[in-house]
Amino acid sequence: MLRNSICIAASLLGLAASTAALADEAVRIGYAIARTGPFAGGAQVSQEPNYLLWAEQVNAKGGLMVAGKQRKVELIGYDDRSDTETVVRTYEKLMNQDKVDLVLPPWGTGQTFAVATLANKLGYPMIAPTASSKKLTDMKLPFVFTILQQPDQMMNALADMLVAQGVKTVAVVHVDDLFGLENVDALSKALASHNIGLLDKKSYPLGVKDLSPVLKAMKEKNPDAFLGITYPPDTILVSKQAREIGFNPKIFYAAVGTAFPLYKAQLTGNTEGVMGMGSWNAKTGAAAKDYFAAHIAKFQKEPDRWASAHAYASLQILQQAVEKVGLDRARIRDAIAGGEFQTILGPIKFKDGMNASIPGTVSQWQKGEFEVVWPKTRATATLVSPKPAWN
Amino acid sequence: MKDWIKWLPLIAALAAVPWLTNAYMVSLLLTCLMYVALAVSWVMFSGPSRYLSLATTAFFGIGAYCTAWGLGHLPWPLLLLGGALAAAGTAALVGLFVLKLRGSYFAVLTFGLSELALHVINQTERSISGTVGRVLLNPPEQDAIYLAVLALALAAIACCAWLWRGPLGHALRGIGADEDRAATLGVNPLRVKLAGFALAAAFAGAVGAAMAGRWTYIDPHTVFNPLIGFQTVLIVMVGGASRIQGAVIGAVIFSLLSEFLRMRFPYFYLVLLGLLLILSVLYLPNGLIALLPRKKAAAHG
Amino acid sequence: MTFTLFLDLLAAGLITGGIYAIVAIGLNLQYGLMRVMNIAHGEFLMLGAYLTYVLHTTLGLNPLATLPIAMAALFLVGLLVHRLVLRRLVHSSPNIDVFEARGLVASFGLMFVVQNLALMVWGADLRGYTYLAEPLQLGGVIMPHNRLLVFAVVVVLSAGLIAVLRFTLIGKAIRAMMQAPLGAQLVGIDTARLHPWCFGAGLALAGVAGALLSMVYEISPGMGEPYTITALIVITLGGYGSIVGSLAAGLLLGLVETFGMHFTSPSLKMVLSYAVFIGVLMFKPKGLFAK
Repeated sequence: MLRNSICIAASLLGLAASTAALADEAVRIGYAIARTGPFAGGAQVSQEPNYLLWAEQVNAKGGLMVAGKQRKVELIGYDDRSDTETVVRTYEKLMNQDKVDLVLPPWGTGQTFAVATLANKLGYPMIAPTASSKKLTDMKLPFVFTILQQPDQMMNALADMLVAQGVKTVAVVHVDDLFGLENVDALSKALASHNIGLLDKKSYPLGVKDLSPVLKAMKEKNPDAFLGITYPPDTILVSKQAREIGFNPKIFYAAVGTAFPLYKAQLTGNTEGVMGMGSWNAKTGAAAKDYFAAHIAKFQKEPDRWASAHAYASLQILQQAVEKVGLDRARIRDAIAGGEFQTILGPIKFKDGMNASIPGTVSQWQKGEFEVVWPKTRATATLVSPKPAWN
Repeated sequence: MKDWIKWLPLIAALAAVPWLTNAYMVSLLLTCLMYVALAVSWVMFSGPSRYLSLATTAFFGIGAYCTAWGLGHLPWPLLLLGGALAAAGTAALVGLFVLKLRGSYFAVLTFGLSELALHVINQTERSISGTVGRVLLNPPEQDAIYLAVLALALAAIACCAWLWRGPLGHALRGIGADEDRAATLGVNPLRVKLAGFALAAAFAGAVGAAMAGRWTYIDPHTVFNPLIGFQTVLIVMVGGASRIQGAVIGAVIFSLLSEFLRMRFPYFYLVLLGLLLILSVLYLPNGLIALLPRKKAAAHG
Repeated sequence: MTFTLFLDLLAAGLITGGIYAIVAIGLNLQYGLMRVMNIAHGEFLMLGAYLTYVLHTTLGLNPLATLPIAMAALFLVGLLVHRLVLRRLVHSSPNIDVFEARGLVASFGLMFVVQNLALMVWGADLRGYTYLAEPLQLGGVIMPHNRLLVFAVVVVLSAGLIAVLRFTLIGKAIRAMMQAPLGAQLVGIDTARLHPWCFGAGLALAGVAGALLSMVYEISPGMGEPYTITALIVITLGGYGSIVGSLAAGLLLGLVETFGMHFTSPSLKMVLSYAVFIGVLMFKPKGLFAK
């Protein structure tokens, strides 16, 4: 009975493999990403749309230039259900069974972790646009690159900015998962080194629905800055609830999701001066402007002002590496590790598998646009401080 | 008793799989075997006793954390044993309290326990190491994990068959039929239930300890995934809870079918899977097991 | 602890608890009455939320005005699901335990179908709109209007429901059914005819709850799952079949969370809720309001 099912499974997989082979000459690029489950919200805003947009653009221009020959790109994308075992199994299929030419990473730190060792072992280069963890970069896997800024970079930039604004005291809330804890760890160290007082620090679980009691207690302590290491729903929650109770410190910072167009829609007329994790906007450069327009044209929505552009830039890097050395994956890896690439975020090169060209950044909502305000070398606008009162 | 000999070729074939095929086929079979082991361990206790448990997630997660904590300090096979013992110990301890409840109260309570275990581990990890999540350096090879889970699945089947034939199985069935009456007939319900609950938990814990090696990175939310507990119950119900074969067939068909649909229809496979579940309960209400010829009168009801 | 702080926490806890209660009462109508452990309950809540969102953002309807629409629409969905799935299951199941197990599988199927259809229609992005977000200050307690509105609707609906069950003939029949399905049949209540109405009413409450939640939080196709789980906990805590029990248990859980978060840490919120839940069931194995 089991043997039968093995046969059935084998023939089904054979079917999948043969249909793939029909798309003659195409460069097959596989990935799994969350289309369902808790990670889908992030994955479908910041990552998969960029895969689709890039493939469409490359194919519209005739394809990817491989060893002097233009070949179309064929994306093979599966749902990873936001589940670890599923994501591992799917990449095993892509690399071992389908033998795709290249793979793209899944969404998020945890899922990237789960497939990173596998990709490394089988020699598939991977540039992760939504993985941010010291634990991951510390593994120093030669085939795995991160293009998003890492926790210590983002938090050091934040602390430097606070010092420049003369902030003496802060209150911090953070989500108690790996992302929140690594960032808050880096932040605490940076604050201590600058002698900034930490008046209050509270953690909260994923999926929190009410933080107003916490915010009220923080308001009582009257810090110069409020810093939230938060995810999109909680970013909106703390912003709305801070406004409701009139908690309006000089600096108001909430991490992930401030860069989402949704934030502006949800905080109608109340975004002015709010800071968060962002690294670019359409003013960053001509290429960024074109990307911004192309994203709207294809999906009828704006890209977010942080990870989206990093996801798209990772594909540009992969493309340039392939056009330089062909589809030999070890050589692609070396090309990525050693080269410098022109992207919508400007030139990027890697050091120790990390993006060495884009420093930690801080962005701020100003007149309906999320502007990069720190550091000055990346800024698209000058920082406004103190934050104006909520409407 | 010679029954199992005719299965030897199949077992040998399964054990040889890592040498015959690619890593994806191995991991696909691994998923099937993981759910075979979990479903059989579930049905071992919950089938005859009719105590619908959603604690599988808790036991699986506890086992996984044994590997996460112990890897690098202890040999991996020992950690599987450790996972089994930790899960069985937890089951025996909480069983003292929760096994007093019946029906849906028990089901929802065991679900609550899984969630409680998740948050307790999360807090413990934070207070001990200041962070959540652990990176597993030097995890066991995939083939070793596969063989371990195969062994666990076979052991679960053998244990279930042995249990159901013996006095404990009869006592559990008595409890499932009428607990008060069973008590008057000289069965100590709590002791019987505790033994069954702990034995089932041991297998789920060992499976968790084995599977953790696959995932480089472990955090409480990935290993205490409620989907694992729910899917196990679902598999047994789709397969049929009255015989071991039901759990086995349910696990294999469910795993292969959901994988096939996911690959073939990447955007709406869950809609199809949902419709198939509804149709199966409408048109195959007694489970896939009803499709099998009933060779001998199964003594387990 | 100052009195203002106490009032503040009390208000926050009651509002959170009120939301839990309304979601749970809907589930209890389905489970307490006809033993359908509807795992897809939160998915119907999600449908209610999207309905309000769509009507508000495309047609410009006032979200408050969409409440009856969400209620009616989900009631009809409930009748349809009952007609297509549950009615057959009632007939094909030899006893209530078997029916319960099969109902569970079917509702799992429904969960997959409904959630993923929503995903295909609206995508996985978070969505939302702003409605009555201005705060109201009352004796030091600050609450946005939308949360207060949610609480008011919850109070009115649950009080109305409890009154209907207590004082009308059909209400008495339903309560008889919840307490003793067989006995109800013996005294001439046609339980089978009441089932679709109760199932529909359960989904209608889920629809209203979803519509209300969309005024306060962002919505997404996966938003329902946590509410299903909370609802399961609340109806178990309050006792199956007891509407008053669900109301009390929902409010209790909301208060435990809010006060617990204040005195310990928000991170311990879940540990506290589950500890209370498990603790209560140890002493009252059939829930707080068991008869």
